[in-house]
Amino acid sequence: MWTLLKLTPSVLELDLFEVEKRIKCFIKEYVENAGVEGIVLGLSGGIDSATTAAVSSLAIGGKNVTGLILPEKETYNSKDIEDAKLIAEKFGLKTQMCDITPVLEGFYKTIPIFDQVDKLSKGNVKARTRMIYLYYYANKRKKIVCGSSDKSETMMGYFTKWGDVAADISPLMDLYKTQVRKLAVHIGIPPKLAAKPSTPSLWPNQLAETELGIKYEALDLILYGLERFMTPEEIAQQMNFEKTFIEKIKSRWLSVEHKRRLPLTPKLEYRTVGTDFRLPRQKY
Amino acid sequence: MKKNIKIALAQIRSKRENKKANLQKIEEFTLKAKNQGANLVIFPELSLTGYVLHDQVYELAEEIPGPSIKRVEDLAKRTGMLIVFGMPELSEKTKATIFNTAVIVGPNGLIGKYRKRYLPTHSVFEEKRYFRQGYQTAVFKTSIGNLGLLICYDIFFPEICRLTRLKGAELIVCISASPAVRRRYFEILTAARALENTAFLAYVNLAGVEDGLHFWGGSRLVGPTGDLLVKAKYDEEDLVVCEIDYTDMRSAEIFVPMLRDLRPELFEELKKNSEKL
Repeated sequence: MWTLLKLTPSVLELDLFEVEKRIKCFIKEYVENAGVEGIVLGLSGGIDSATTAAVSSLAIGGKNVTGLILPEKETYNSKDIEDAKLIAEKFGLKTQMCDITPVLEGFYKTIPIFDQVDKLSKGNVKARTRMIYLYYYANKRKKIVCGSSDKSETMMGYFTKWGDVAADISPLMDLYKTQVRKLAVHIGIPPKLAAKPSTPSLWPNQLAETELGIKYEALDLILYGLERFMTPEEIAQQMNFEKTFIEKIKSRWLSVEHKRRLPLTPKLEYRTVGTDFRLPRQKY
Repeated sequence: MKKNIKIALAQIRSKRENKKANLQKIEEFTLKAKNQGANLVIFPELSLTGYVLHDQVYELAEEIPGPSIKRVEDLAKRTGMLIVFGMPELSEKTKATIFNTAVIVGPNGLIGKYRKRYLPTHSVFEEKRYFRQGYQTAVFKTSIGNLGLLICYDIFFPEICRLTRLKGAELIVCISASPAVRRRYFEILTAARALENTAFLAYVNLAGVEDGLHFWGGSRLVGPTGDLLVKAKYDEEDLVVCEIDYTDMRSAEIFVPMLRDLRPELFEELKKNSEKL
């Protein structure tokens, strides 16, 4: 008989030495096989991008990693910039700062239906604009874009499609947020920075946990249970939540699969991109 | 039969879809193994092509015998070595039916082959999508004793090892492409299969990363009491050589006589119950 998993924080514990080794190996081999000259990544001052920057630098050397600091006036936060620079200095990566405000204002002015009040649509323009900067640097400097999405956000669809999630590799995408925080401290990121509240910075004072309606410590356990095919009822019972709340999380996870895949296309021919055209992602 | 048998475990990182480079590596490691006095050198599962192939497998599979086998036969002849490696095998009777095959080649040419019986099709594995399963157990008489062959996921099913042992295998060779999330399972199973069959077991895994799949290496030779005789590095390419002596099997078999105590009537019961699962 299937024994129920016990959803206690210990299930999220990892062998951090092993995880660090595997992620570094993954990054190094990908960069070498791609024949590029390194990595470019967005450096927001938040925990995910700080960890991605740090582990990338440990994998291929800081001199091969460029961190772009891409502030804009509405969400400008000097502490975040300070944290981004601190990480860059500690792990020896190069940074460049580009204020994206004028570009954003260009979009706001030239989109005929632009609506200042619709902060989500507006915020997504910011995430996608940052993506354009990252890919410009990648093209120009012969690098790949390294994403910093974690598993909690990816499962919840808490990201901008073709925006912050757009990347060539995402080394942290199989780690829940609380696991990223532990890995961060393990590789030498100051604990204070690792514990900083997460924000996508799409509008002022936006906080991930407030928007998701739950602390990451609890969310990660719920997602861990869903990942392992536990029912909402089992999770609710163990974690003392209403079953409807767990069902909502499950429903959100399942409804945003379109954000995690290539666009769907009707099956018309012999082999179809995104469905049965199965090829290795990287040519050696 | 030869005494003082030396086995080399060639834990390589295959260059995916590049048979030429992989054959070169097979040659390089075979020569190194020979220099260390080995009689047999073992390479991982699908080491000729790499493991993560998806649709490209249709372009890479070859008949046996075929051009790649010819290259390895020449190498075995030149070095006087026995060589085991893995490759996608195209059936000679059809146009696109492929097997995941282990091949054994010696100084006198092809000795035999084994087609993987258990094809993992779950989690990150999609082998049944591309490969036909094998039906034969493989035990070959060689200059260094009776060798049984199996491939990776086969080791999860004790009946495969048991069959090779019952057919006389002294050294069970398991070639593998196992990702790191499965390391613990293989570390347990390799010891268990050697112990329960009181035979030597050589396990050779890939190293390196293919499309995000991190192969953990950790190749090993296990003795007939389940003891670890030699182990290759985790994650990286490595070559380790170990001497074995089949007379060790005798004392192991007397100490815990599992083969003497086999109960054939249970197999009939197993068959009936597995059909009803």
